[in-house]
Amino acid sequence: MKIKKFLNTILLFEIIFLLQQNIFAAGDELNTVMSIMLVFTVIIIAVTLWLSVVYSEKNDNEGKAFLNPYRKFLKMLTKSTPIENEKDILLDHEYDGIKELDSKVPPWFAFLFYGTIVFSIIYMVRFHVIGSGDVQAEEYLEEIRAAQVERQILIKTGAFLNEETVTFTKDAGALSNGKDIFIKNCAACHANDGGGLVGPNLTDEYWINGGGIKNVFKVIKYGVPAKGMISWQTQLSPTQMQEVASYILTLEGTEPANPKQPEGEKWVEPKEEETKS
Amino acid sequence: MNVEKFSYDNKIVRLFTIATVVWGLVGMLVGLLIAFQMYLPDLSFGIQYITFGRIRPLHTNAVIFAFVGNAIFAGVYYSLQRLTKARMYNDFLSNFHFWGWQLIIVSAAITLPLGLTTSKEYAELEWPIDIAIAVVWLAFGANMMGTIMKRREKHMYVAIWFYIATFVTVTILHVVNSLELPVSLFKSYSIYAGVQDALVQWWYGHNAVAFFLTTPYLGLMYYFLPKAANRPVYSYKLSIVHFWSLIFIYIWAGPHHLLYSALPDWAQSLGTVFSIMLIAPSWGGMINGLLTLRGAWDKVRDEPMLKFMVVAVTAYGMATFEGPMLSLKNVNAIAHFTDYIIGHVHVGALAWNGFLTYGMFYWMMPKLYRTTLYSKKLANAHFWIGTLGIVFYAAPLYWAGIAQALMWKEFTPLGILQYPNFLETVIQIVPMYIIRSLGGLLYYIGVIVMVYNLYKTAKQGSFLANEEDEAAPITIEKDKPKKGKIHRWLEKRPIQFAGLATVAILIGGVVEFVPTYLVESNIPTIASVKPYTPLELQGRDIYIREGCVSCHSQLVRPFRSETERYGEYSKAGEYVYDHPFLWGSKRTGPDLHRVGGKYSNLWHYLHFEDPRSMSPGSLMPRYTWLLEQTLDIETTPVKIAAMRTLGVPYEEGYEEYAVEDLMKQAEEITNDLMNNGVVTEPDKEVIALIAYLQRLGMDIKANANGN
Repeated sequence: MKIKKFLNTILLFEIIFLLQQNIFAAGDELNTVMSIMLVFTVIIIAVTLWLSVVYSEKNDNEGKAFLNPYRKFLKMLTKSTPIENEKDILLDHEYDGIKELDSKVPPWFAFLFYGTIVFSIIYMVRFHVIGSGDVQAEEYLEEIRAAQVERQILIKTGAFLNEETVTFTKDAGALSNGKDIFIKNCAACHANDGGGLVGPNLTDEYWINGGGIKNVFKVIKYGVPAKGMISWQTQLSPTQMQEVASYILTLEGTEPANPKQPEGEKWVEPKEEETKS
Repeated sequence: MNVEKFSYDNKIVRLFTIATVVWGLVGMLVGLLIAFQMYLPDLSFGIQYITFGRIRPLHTNAVIFAFVGNAIFAGVYYSLQRLTKARMYNDFLSNFHFWGWQLIIVSAAITLPLGLTTSKEYAELEWPIDIAIAVVWLAFGANMMGTIMKRREKHMYVAIWFYIATFVTVTILHVVNSLELPVSLFKSYSIYAGVQDALVQWWYGHNAVAFFLTTPYLGLMYYFLPKAANRPVYSYKLSIVHFWSLIFIYIWAGPHHLLYSALPDWAQSLGTVFSIMLIAPSWGGMINGLLTLRGAWDKVRDEPMLKFMVVAVTAYGMATFEGPMLSLKNVNAIAHFTDYIIGHVHVGALAWNGFLTYGMFYWMMPKLYRTTLYSKKLANAHFWIGTLGIVFYAAPLYWAGIAQALMWKEFTPLGILQYPNFLETVIQIVPMYIIRSLGGLLYYIGVIVMVYNLYKTAKQGSFLANEEDEAAPITIEKDKPKKGKIHRWLEKRPIQFAGLATVAILIGGVVEFVPTYLVESNIPTIASVKPYTPLELQGRDIYIREGCVSCHSQLVRPFRSETERYGEYSKAGEYVYDHPFLWGSKRTGPDLHRVGGKYSNLWHYLHFEDPRSMSPGSLMPRYTWLLEQTLDIETTPVKIAAMRTLGVPYEEGYEEYAVEDLMKQAEEITNDLMNNGVVTEPDKEVIALIAYLQRLGMDIKANANGN
């Protein structure tokens, strides 16, 4: 039976959309995807119904039972007089040969009109009676506030810290965090006291890739793959990298148990003016 | 029954038809030129009279008032005579109307390239032409109402309702929006300032769309569609409902052009909700048109004229759904100031107005010339070329508009603008501009095909100048309206009908205007905002002359993405001395409301000389003549005095030493340029324009520093 075929088609579409939904659902925007799917499903059903109407006009015997409620529904929305009975509602005037029918105003049109009027009343009440009426200024302040909150979060996570902007921190808490990070991640190669094992000695004044907070931060962030130093930017946040880099710089001049020989160049901190330019 | 013999005036219809075709070709050609200029900025060849800023208003005026205008008159003069069973009231008025209207168009085609403009969109023509428009329009109205009065048909058909509403409303719109104070023969200042000017302008601008591009065309649709399809109009009741609701609601919706602007929030919200409420009344026209074709769809397959009408009416339905959606603030926040709007209006203009006009001509021309259409095949070809043209015109612009708006709004994860350089967002959409211009070209080719077809049709037929007809005279009985037949009663009384229509269209305007003028809290004043100096005022007039407002807004909206890009958002109190307002409606270039002090004088000077020297890839034309032409300082005292009349607080007698002040400021700028290696003279136009640009936004910055 043809009707079964249609129902099967609907089912097939449903399955396809459900599958797609699962694929999309892996993302964050689940709600958006869900609502898009819902809209699509509704559209598919509507189109299918419409197709079935077109089809059933060709095969009047089949499908009538299935379509009757839908036809009734359509009829209710349009209240249109069938074209065969048109002469019953033909008005008795004509203008230069143009006649007019006395068709009812389609109920769907009236619903649409009333709907927009209700929408408008709610809109005005919502913003200008219940609300303050100061719509766009408030909206703007809210947008700015949200941006500031986001910025504070970003500052906390150190999102603004990079090898250009990073500074040495003297903060005791930060340095203690730095020490913990060092013991956990760096000591394996550089020794617990920074004296160096596979990696170079971090307590002397000699640096292979340049000293100072910016260079050290950069080496931690990107690593020096050729020499076996790995990149840490996916494992440590910028703030953590700042803390551990600062901690490493505090080690200079300490006396480790088994210091490795100095490697690289002796580092001289550039003068203030030069760094500024 | 005594039957009267009379004849219809077909000559006037033919005149308007020819004018429509001629001006259509001209107006669309100008449109094509500016579409190419959008990505080939040197396509004005250094000629000031054909730069984008000056001929963009020429394009809009030509297609609206010359092409569509003449088409309206052709259709009205044809249908009105037949619907009233009467010849036009007065042949002299008909001819006066025709030649007067063409004269106005010619004067527009001369003055706009010369830079004589008020800068108010679709009302750019200067005051003497405004007066001429009023006179000619009233002649048309008198002729139309006279014809209706001496009709031989008791009731007025729905098409005539729309013609009457068009006449009364356009009269009011034109007069109110054109109130201006002349300072010379071809220069005037709007009597309204800033926010109020914006409100009046967009009340006018929006309703020019409503009552010039929509209601008369609905009237034409109600005549030519049932005629061409030979079917009864679907629903008389629907006609009544959608006619009155349409004209009543349309007039309120103007503020949707000013969402997120310095217009008071309540007025903006009214603009939004009345636009939403417009969906159904607009669709009433569409469904009454489409349902009239019930049982005649087989004819649509065969008759190209019906194809044109179907696409026209469908496009009308699409555009009138899209419009309300664009009036929702969250949608408007994306689409406004972008090419999306250009796409939107062209769906209306090319498909609704254009296609309905072509459908009408394909039907009417064979009738006028007592023959058949020369070639159905060519008409079909026109239909398909035109439809493709519309698609290739609108789709790229929709795409461009959304893409650019999203780029404007994009922030990096760290909270700074992703595309801080405006130009980057422009270069991104240049390919869309290219496709659009080709879409326009296709559409134009279609029109040429039509012109050939119509010409051949006329050639093969013989023109019937006076078409004989006969009808019995009528007497209007002095009866009271019966219950349930009130509208039928009203249809017999054109004067009462016109009066009621006038009331319907006045309510919205009055409710929105009066409080904006009288309630002070709507425009909070800002103490640091001062009148322009004489040099800045002259510079502002050059800004107006060159049509800078075509591409640059002066309205920073209250969005973080805009305040980050431009600076503090624009406040109503900043515009109190702006006669006229210059907010703009499209950003092909960046907003300029905060441009003062952003660049050096030197930068501006070199930028006018060659924009691409300062901004590689810029689409702005060169303005070399500004560097050479001498500023007309003689006009300064008159301008200052005129501004004072309009309420700008220049001291009494300031015009005496205004020129002195002007020269002093000009010399300061010239000296600054000299110190930076550019030798010029203080009396060059570019100096005044730089002075104006450097002033923009400085008052409010001073205010911030003062606090």
